[in-house]
Amino acid sequence: MSQKTQGSRLEIQGVNKFFGDFCALKDINLTIEPGELVCFLGPSGCGKTTLLRIIAGLERQSGGLLHQGETDISLKPPRERDFGIVFQSYALFPNMTVTDNIAYGLRSIGMPKAQVRSRVDELLALVGLEDQASKYPAQLSGGQQQRVALARALAPTPGLLLLDEPLSALDAKVRHHLRSEIRSLQKQLGVTTVMVTHDQEEALAMADRVVVMNNGVIEQVGTPLDIYQQPASAFVASFIGAMNFIDSSPLNGQRVKIGNRELDLIRPLPAADGCIQLAIRPEDVHLLPSGDGEWEGEVLALDYLGAFIRTHIRLSDIELDLVVDVDPRSARRLDLRVGGCICLNLPSDALHCFAA
Amino acid sequence: MSVFDPGKSSMIDSPSFSTPATRNWPTLAELRRRLTDRWVFALLLVIGCVVLTLLVLAPLYTLLSKSVENKAGEFVGLENFAHYLSSGGIESAFFNSLWVAGLSTVIVVSLAFMAAWALTRTRLPFTGWLRGVLVLPILAPSLLPAISLVYLFGNQGVLKSWLFGAEIYGPIGIIMGSCFWTFPHALMILLTAMDNADGRHYEAATALKASPWRTFWTVTVPGARYGLVSAGFVVFTLVITDFGVPKVIGGQFDVLATDIYKQVIGQQKFEMGAVVSVLLLLPAMLAFIADRYVQRKQSASFTARSVPYRPRQDRMRDAIGALMLTPTVVFIFAIIGMAIYASFVTFWPYNLQLSLNNYQFGRMDGGGWGAYINSLKMALGTMLIGTGLVFFNAWLMERTPQPKLLTGVFQFLSLLPLAVPGLVLGLSYIFFFNHPDNPINGIYGTLFILILCTITHFYAVSHLTAVTALKQLDQEFEAVGESLNASRWRVLFTVTLPLCLPAILDVALYLFVNAMTTVSAVVFLYGHDSQLASVAVLNMDEAGDIAPAAAMAILITATCAVAKLIQGVLRFWVDRSTRAWRQGME
Repeated sequence: MSQKTQGSRLEIQGVNKFFGDFCALKDINLTIEPGELVCFLGPSGCGKTTLLRIIAGLERQSGGLLHQGETDISLKPPRERDFGIVFQSYALFPNMTVTDNIAYGLRSIGMPKAQVRSRVDELLALVGLEDQASKYPAQLSGGQQQRVALARALAPTPGLLLLDEPLSALDAKVRHHLRSEIRSLQKQLGVTTVMVTHDQEEALAMADRVVVMNNGVIEQVGTPLDIYQQPASAFVASFIGAMNFIDSSPLNGQRVKIGNRELDLIRPLPAADGCIQLAIRPEDVHLLPSGDGEWEGEVLALDYLGAFIRTHIRLSDIELDLVVDVDPRSARRLDLRVGGCICLNLPSDALHCFAA
Repeated sequence: MSVFDPGKSSMIDSPSFSTPATRNWPTLAELRRRLTDRWVFALLLVIGCVVLTLLVLAPLYTLLSKSVENKAGEFVGLENFAHYLSSGGIESAFFNSLWVAGLSTVIVVSLAFMAAWALTRTRLPFTGWLRGVLVLPILAPSLLPAISLVYLFGNQGVLKSWLFGAEIYGPIGIIMGSCFWTFPHALMILLTAMDNADGRHYEAATALKASPWRTFWTVTVPGARYGLVSAGFVVFTLVITDFGVPKVIGGQFDVLATDIYKQVIGQQKFEMGAVVSVLLLLPAMLAFIADRYVQRKQSASFTARSVPYRPRQDRMRDAIGALMLTPTVVFIFAIIGMAIYASFVTFWPYNLQLSLNNYQFGRMDGGGWGAYINSLKMALGTMLIGTGLVFFNAWLMERTPQPKLLTGVFQFLSLLPLAVPGLVLGLSYIFFFNHPDNPINGIYGTLFILILCTITHFYAVSHLTAVTALKQLDQEFEAVGESLNASRWRVLFTVTLPLCLPAILDVALYLFVNAMTTVSAVVFLYGHDSQLASVAVLNMDEAGDIAPAAAMAILITATCAVAKLIQGVLRFWVDRSTRAWRQGME
C-alpha cells in the first residue's frame, strides 16, 4: 500500500446559502490544502452539513465560488465533481454484496472487469474485509458497514473525500477504533478529506485543522491545539472543552476588576466599552491549602470522574461558582471535602478574555 | 494500489463516448448527461401532471359544468338541482344512501376490529389461513354477495324464514352485501394499525396492575384509533359509492348510485345524472378530506426503539378471539359457498342436479365468453400500464429533485381519484371523451378507454403504496450514486427497482383484481366490442339469468384467486432469493 493519491486542493470563496429568508451560511471563505483532513465542527443547525452538501454539489449555494484544484466547480452537478462521500447512514445498497457495492462506482465509468476485480480486492485489503466480500450489508456489523461505505467512496480514487458524521451511528468502542483507522488510511492515501461532526473529541483527535462553525459563520479555523488553547471567541471557548467564565470590568491598560479586586492580565484587552469576560479552563485553576492563595472559596460538590475530580467551588467574596479539575493525588493532599474551605489562584497566563 | 490510477477527467471523456467535435448534434455522453439534468425530471413530472389532469380533473370539470347546463348545453345555474330536489329524489335516494352507508360502516368496522383483535392479540392457531379467508371477499365483484343473498334469503331462498317475513330486497340486503365486500378493506387497515404494537405499553399496564379490560380500553383501543377512523371513512365511501349490491338486491329502495344509473341508462337524462353525481361526490369528498386530516395527525407511534408485542398464553382470551371470528368466517364461507353451489345447480330450485349448464355463457345475453376474454385483456393492460405509470411517477416525485410546488400539485392529482366514486368517474368520462370536439374521442367504446378509466379509478391507493415503498429507501442512495458517477437512472434500475419489487407486485395484483371486479366506472363506458365479465354479471342478472350471473361472478373470483396465487408464488420467490440481504432489515 505504498501508493499516494494526490488529493486536490479545495477553495471556498464567499459562499452564502439562504433557505427562503433564513441565512444558513454567511460569507464562508476557506482553503483546504491537498492531503489535509479538515473537520467542520459545530452544534446542530450551524450550517456544517449544508456546507458539505454544497461542496458535493448536492445543494446549490446562493452565492460564492468553489474551486477544486484549478477547476471551477461552483455550478457543476455532483456527477461531474471529483469526490467520494460517506453518509451517516452509509446508504449502502442493501441488494448488493460488499464486492458489488465497492465496484459500483468503477462499473459506472465502464472500467474493464479484470481491473474492477483487482481494484475491489485492493480496497477490501485496505479496509480489512477480505473475508466478507460476498456478504450483504445487512449481514455485517455497524463498523464493518462503515468500512464498506469508505471503501466504496474511495474506489474510484477521488481527489476529495467527504464524510458526513461517519461515526455517529456506532457505539463508543467501535467509534474510537475506527477514528484512528480512518485517520491512518487517509494519511496513507493522501486524499483531501472534509469531515462533518458535532463531536468535539472526534474533531480534535482526527483533524489537521478544525473549522468551528456557529449560526452559519466560521468562528475559528485552526489546529486542534490552537482551538483548545487559543479560542478566538467565547463561543469557541465554551463549545470546545469546559470553561469557566468570569465577568469583569476593564480598568486602564491590562488591568481588570473582578468584584472589588483588581487583576493584571498578560494579554491585551479586546476592544469593548462595557463588560469583559475572563475565561479559564477547569484544569488551569491552581488549588492551594486554605489560607495560602489569593481567592477564598468553599467546596460545594465533588464529582468523581475517574482520572480526575471535578470540584465545584464558590468564591465567597464575589459570589461566583467555579469548576476546577483536580487529580486524585492533589485532592488528597488538599483534603478536599464538601463544605471545606479552599484557596485558589487564577494564573494570568491561563486567563483568556473576550468582549462580552 | 498502483495498478489502476485513472484521472477522473479521462473517465468522463473515455474514448468510447467521445466523438469528433465537428459534429453538431450532441454526443452520447452529453445526451446521457442531459437526461440527468434537473429540468428533464421536472419536465417528466409536468407530463405526469398533465396526464393525470386529462384523466381526472378535466373529465370532472366537464361533469360539473354539465350539471349546470340544460339538454341543449345552455347555462341554467342550479335549475337542475332544484328540479331534482322538487322531484323528491333528495329525500329518498340521498338520505337512503347516507343511513345505509352509515349503518354498514358501524357493522363492518366493529366486525373488522373484533377480527383484527383476535388475529393480533390472541394466540389462536392458523392465523395465517384465517387472514387469507377473511380477505377472500376482495377477490369477488361486489355483485357476488348480492346474488348469493338472493339465493339465501330471496323469494326462493333456502333461509328465507330466518328473516321473519322481512324482505331481503331493500336495505337489509344492501347492508348485508356491502358488509361482505367492504370487510377486507376495513380489516387490512386495522391489521396495519394493530400489527405493530409496542409490547412495552402492555408491560407498563401490567406493571401498573391494570385489568385486561382496562388495558384493552387504555392501550389497545387508543393504539388503533386512527385505524378505526380511517377504516370508517373508507367503508363509508365504498358503500355509498357502490352500485353493484343495490342494483342487484336493492329492489325498489333508491340510493344515489342506482339513481345515477337509472337517470343515465334508463332515461338518457345525462344532465340529471350529472346532478346526482355531484350529490354523490359531496359525501365522498368530505370523507376523503376528513380522512386526510386524520392521517396527517397520525404520527408513527411504533419507533425503532419499540419492542414488538407478543400475546401471552391465555386460553380464555383465545376462546373469546375464536368467538369473535366465527360469525364473520361463517358468513364469508356461506356467501361464497352459496354462489358456487348456485352456479352449478341446473335449475333452481326445481332441478338441483349439478351441471355446467350455467357456464355456457354463449347461450345467454351479456357478451358470453368474449366478455370474459375482454376482462382478462383489460385487467392485464391495466396492470401492466398502470403499474409502470404509477411507479415511474412516484419515483419522479420521491427520488428526483423537484420543485416543491410541482410535487404538491402532483400529490393532489394522484390522491384525487380516491375521492371520486367510480360511477361519477365513468359518467364524467362519457362527457369528456365522447365529446365531438375531443381529438381523442376515437378511443370511446374501446378497451383502451376502459383501461385508462380503471387505472385512474384505482390510481390513488397504488400511488400511496409506491410512495411508501420509495420513502423507506435511504434518502442518500441517489447522492451516493452521483458521487460514484452513476446517474439516477442507473440507481433506479440497479437499486431502487430491485428493492421495491415486493411493492411492485402488490400494486400489480391490486390493479389486476380491481380491474377484473369493478363495475361502477366501466358500466357507462363499455362498447359493443368491449363488454366485460363484471358487466355481464349485471346484465345477466337484470335479464333474469341469475344462475349464469352467479357462474360468471364465480369465474371472476376464481381468476382473481389464481392471480393472487401467482403473485404469492412470485413474492415467495422474491423473498427467498433476497433473503440474504433482507436479513436484519426490519
